[in-house]
Amino acid sequence: MTGAAGEVEQRSVGSTDGRQIALVDLLDRLLGTGVVLAGDVVISLAGVDLVQVKLHALITSIREDMVQPR
Amino acid sequence: MTETGRYLYAIARGLDPQAMTGVPALGGGHLDVVEHLGLAAVVSSVDLDEYGEEGLRRNLENLSWLEEVARGHDTVVQAVAEQSPTAPLRLATICHDDDGVRARLEEWHDALEEVLDRIEGRREWSVKVFARPRPAPAAAESTAGGASAGGAAYLQRKKAESQAREADESSAAAIADEVHHSLAGRSVAGRRLPPQDPRLTGRTDRMLHNGAYLVPAEEGDAFAAVVEELRAAHPDVTIESAGPWPPYSFATLEQS
Repeated sequence: MTGAAGEVEQRSVGSTDGRQIALVDLLDRLLGTGVVLAGDVVISLAGVDLVQVKLHALITSIREDMVQPR
Repeated sequence: MTETGRYLYAIARGLDPQAMTGVPALGGGHLDVVEHLGLAAVVSSVDLDEYGEEGLRRNLENLSWLEEVARGHDTVVQAVAEQSPTAPLRLATICHDDDGVRARLEEWHDALEEVLDRIEGRREWSVKVFARPRPAPAAAESTAGGASAGGAAYLQRKKAESQAREADESSAAAIADEVHHSLAGRSVAGRRLPPQDPRLTGRTDRMLHNGAYLVPAEEGDAFAAVVEELRAAHPDVTIESAGPWPPYSFATLEQS
């Protein structure tokens, strides 16, 4: 490993072995890909809708965090 | 009376149910393995007040709930993927009961076998390319207010700036394409996921490429070395990689 400044990136959030997936990457995958089952499944979140719900949730929350004190 | 459903985390082949002992399930319960036709679904019981359609609608808007469930889901998927070829399921896939789980395994049997063949012995790596922020042209600042410089000169300069920006963007896009093709050529499969919104990444540099690559487990170091070469060859962009992960991006069933 060379000491490039960006090298620390994925290891920030309490990672135990360097393999912890950043939340945004995990949600990309858990909401956007993966096996989708349908049928008598009670809830199979329809991909597109859920991603939108989810992005909405994330963006809302991030915006709340970013409320600047004036 | 509280109703429960069966939450599906992943479907695996040749999984020893004992290997799941001690792996935490969502909501503090325990994991079960439902076996049928040579496939094993890893499941646990969840409260439908929380995970039913109505509950999910409410909870998905709650980022801390979402994070906890996504992390809990991932913990189980990682534990299963350590043991066996594993197809992860999407977040919050829930059946009424184990009969429902078995019916899914039967209905999707061939497609699941194909997915498991594709990802067996392979892991996912993420490689992203970010544009380096373009330094603001210093000359533009000093003359920005100088109307006396002449409207024509001003327009010309604006046009030149805009052309330079377009050239930067097209060369950045070309680098992203090249990185993707190089990596796809060194892996079993590659996918381009939609670039992530800067509001989610919390970064100011723009994501040009959000790639996922399926790499044989024993070739992880070689793949990382290719990423390192690409980084050296393209100092104008930032290239980040992470992994190995379970093959999340390569477990999609072919939908007919």
